Amino acid sequence: MKHSTEKHTTGRHLLGAAVALALGWTGFATAASAADDYPTGPITMMVGYAAGGQTDLVARATAKVMSEQLGVPINVVNKPGAGGAVAARELQKAKPDGYTVLFQASTVINSAPFIMERVDFTPDDFEYAGMITAYQVGLATQKDAPFDTLAEFVAWAKENPGFSYGSLSPEARMYMEQIAKKEGLEANIVPLKGGGDMINVILGHQVVLALSGGIHKKYPDEMKMIAALTTFRHPSDPDVLTIDENGYELGMDSRTTLILPKGTPRPVLDNLATALKAAETDEDFKKIIAAANIPIMYFDANGAAKEMADSYANNKRIMESVGIIQK
Amino acid sequence: MRHANVVSGVVLAVVGLVMLFAVIPWQIDPGPEGMVSPRLMPSMMMVLIVALSAVLIFSNLRRADTDAPEPAMPFTWSELAALVKMGAVFAVSLALYLFVSPLAAGAGLVIGSLVALGERRLAVIVLMPAVLLLAIWLLFYKVLGTAIV
Amino acid sequence: MEHLIVGFQDVLNPATLFWVAAGVTLGYVLGAIPGLGKATGVAVAIPLTFYLAPAAALGMLIGIAKGSAAGSAVSAILLNTPGEPSSAPTAMDGYPLARQGKAQKALKMGLFASVIGDFVSTMILIGLAAPLASYALLIGPVELCAILLFSLTFVGGLSGRSLTKGLIAAAFGVFFATVGLEAETFIPRLTFGMLELDDGIALVPIAIGMLAVAEMIVQAGNIKALDVESAQISDGASREDRVVLASEWRRCLPVIARGTLIGSVVGILPGLGASVGSFLSYGATVRASKTPEKYGTGMIEGIAAAESADNAVVPSSLVPLFALGIPGSVIAALLIAAFILHGLTPGPLMFKQQPRLVADVYAAMICASLIMLVIGYNGQRLFAQIIRVPLRLIIPGVLLLCCVGAYMETGSVFSIYVMLFFALLGFFARKLDFSFVTFLIGFVIGPSLELTFRQSIQILDHQAVNLSGHPIAIVFILLTLATVWWTTRDNGRTAASQQRGDCGQTDPTEAETKHIKKGG
Repeated sequence: MKHSTEKHTTGRHLLGAAVALALGWTGFATAASAADDYPTGPITMMVGYAAGGQTDLVARATAKVMSEQLGVPINVVNKPGAGGAVAARELQKAKPDGYTVLFQASTVINSAPFIMERVDFTPDDFEYAGMITAYQVGLATQKDAPFDTLAEFVAWAKENPGFSYGSLSPEARMYMEQIAKKEGLEANIVPLKGGGDMINVILGHQVVLALSGGIHKKYPDEMKMIAALTTFRHPSDPDVLTIDENGYELGMDSRTTLILPKGTPRPVLDNLATALKAAETDEDFKKIIAAANIPIMYFDANGAAKEMADSYANNKRIMESVGIIQK
Repeated sequence: MRHANVVSGVVLAVVGLVMLFAVIPWQIDPGPEGMVSPRLMPSMMMVLIVALSAVLIFSNLRRADTDAPEPAMPFTWSELAALVKMGAVFAVSLALYLFVSPLAAGAGLVIGSLVALGERRLAVIVLMPAVLLLAIWLLFYKVLGTAIV
Repeated sequence: MEHLIVGFQDVLNPATLFWVAAGVTLGYVLGAIPGLGKATGVAVAIPLTFYLAPAAALGMLIGIAKGSAAGSAVSAILLNTPGEPSSAPTAMDGYPLARQGKAQKALKMGLFASVIGDFVSTMILIGLAAPLASYALLIGPVELCAILLFSLTFVGGLSGRSLTKGLIAAAFGVFFATVGLEAETFIPRLTFGMLELDDGIALVPIAIGMLAVAEMIVQAGNIKALDVESAQISDGASREDRVVLASEWRRCLPVIARGTLIGSVVGILPGLGASVGSFLSYGATVRASKTPEKYGTGMIEGIAAAESADNAVVPSSLVPLFALGIPGSVIAALLIAAFILHGLTPGPLMFKQQPRLVADVYAAMICASLIMLVIGYNGQRLFAQIIRVPLRLIIPGVLLLCCVGAYMETGSVFSIYVMLFFALLGFFARKLDFSFVTFLIGFVIGPSLELTFRQSIQILDHQAVNLSGHPIAIVFILLTLATVWWTTRDNGRTAASQQRGDCGQTDPTEAETKHIKKGG
């Protein structure tokens, strides 16, 4: 899989190539396509998570809409690893012709570099064709918990030292450590792996509070959110304050983004952005997204690039202020 | 088996010690204060392996004087030859993958292993990779509608 | 109940039934092909389900999951290349049976045990999903850690010939499972700077390398002897060799019942998985047997034990998914996406909001069980012919499929490197008699074991006294200690008899062929 074009040719001409191979001849003609009649062939959409997750679901639904808009097939290929960093690195190696795209949470660029030592992406390393949905990250707890807001939780936690908090990642840990430091709380931070694990420990009353990437919205009768960890209030919980509004300046955003290799021509990006915009109003897409309770927040190519740069700067500032990275 | 057990016990003990004192400290950061060290689990396993290897070595050395006749080697030459041959076929196939195309690699793997296993009929050598690759293509690209590579 | 009748009315129409049958067939074939397996099958079929009606789509996916669990017995029995670790115990007795010319008998037993395990477990899911799931919530990290410890010791004690070597293999399995980002601090461990290793080493390429590729290389090294043997195999010459006899049924039914129970329980608990189920069941059967030394030489009970548990895990792993929305297995996680896509959010609300669709799924699951019986029964006659094909034509095809299966797991050539590395390891493990199977169990359980251990430390507030609040955990810790005591005592005995047996064996070639038959 050295070049994306080779990949597509493989599928279409496999039959002919098999015959050619039998004669001992290999080699595929790779037609370079000009940016203005883009797209002329199938597009490979990489997803940096395993099949079956929330992002994969959105990616496949998006691919379906875009494929109808662009009139070419879009093959979704899962390349899981390192929160998308493996797929992003593979994208960097692909030709910037618009035939290889990555559909991924923006965290791979705006937060992974601060968490993972060997990831050093910056927003300038890629091009962006747009963003389509946002992740509703928040602090979730049992429905019958004796607190409804972050302030009430802090008051409760002061009475109950040694409570357990479920953490999915170093960022999740950072939130509790910052709150605990500021308020003088004593927390046991329980490591979790994945959203399913999180549901398990909340429903099983193993922890009193946990960071949720949005999955808690599927359990309206069992769970509630006490604070949004994004910079905006969640569309499905408009009354719950954000972490910033609670007085801790720690809000970080992540959105599903259509990422392309550096140097992809501008007309290609705009073409993709237009096709992506169709998802915003597509009935089937809206149905799938609504079932998973994910808000649609569309950005075009310029908007996505700006959002990526802004969120990168914001996250960098937060990580520096809490000492995760050196200034 | 006894001789082989002693040898593998020594090899494993050495591997375990190298891991414990060189590779783990080199490849795993000690981790922040107040948390369970990331080194804990791998180190525990390596300590266990070194200890068990020692048990393996000594229990087999002690039994060695029962001098029962045993095969000199746990492998036959033909098995080692097969390992080398298949290794070579995979190496060629990987080279084809990296420098030519995935398809060539698949064909190379089938043809290479056919020849290595002693198949000499030209019809089989040509038809088998063609049929296999065609079947895989049909299954994944046509029936399942997924791209593999 | 009336919902279920409506469900059957929805499913029992040609179009839906066709897709369920297609799913089962596809799954059975994917499972039977070495190198490809159920996770691959369901993952590649998800895009297909975009275009089908909900009942047909979900029925098809479940069909694939069920069919592949049953199909994986085929390659295990015929070629000694289990597609996934969960059917490795099937190969232990299935392959020797096939080499004795009883391939059809072994395949039939595997199929019947699969279907029974699957069917009973499906009934448990339908009848008891809600009450069972609330019990499953009592199993928190502390309890799970104790259960995992027990499973690992129990399975580790199985390796038989040498407990020391079995434990070394298990320790290596756990060790390799620690590669990647550590779950708590995200500090990379033993990745040598490779991002591909951050999420750890994927199980599928390891399993394919150790179980299938290594076995093919060993067989390639003994190709002449094996081909001569194959030529002499008169597959199913007499009726007794082709069918499961009444006396065998009597011996196997209790084994199947136990396997189904073990598989169902293991499926409900998160983080254990099908391989633990089938190994626990196989181990329990060996332990309960009056002639444990005969296992590994072609005991039909071995197949019944492994396959019934392996297949019982699939439906019961949907219990936490349906009742609570928690995916209990890889398959369940993949199904979540498909469910959501078709407007069904797994969880307790599902029964209130979409009772009809749930009933459809249940009906489709029952149909899939029965279709599996028909397809498997007809398929096995065809598959059994494989045993007569010369190995030099089999090995290249198997190797190609192994590469495809490994590659698909991560979509990168890195998986192939992993597969080859572990094939080499598997080759030496086979020849030096280190149980590669205990290695795999250690690898599968390793991450959960470490994570639940860390979670337990936090939940118990760093004090062992707090363990008194977790009686289930205490029971399993005691069981673990009992197993260690039991195994060391037993192994001391078998080691002594083993030594006597070794002395009697003077002919190296005979010892060698016997070794191949046992599959390492």
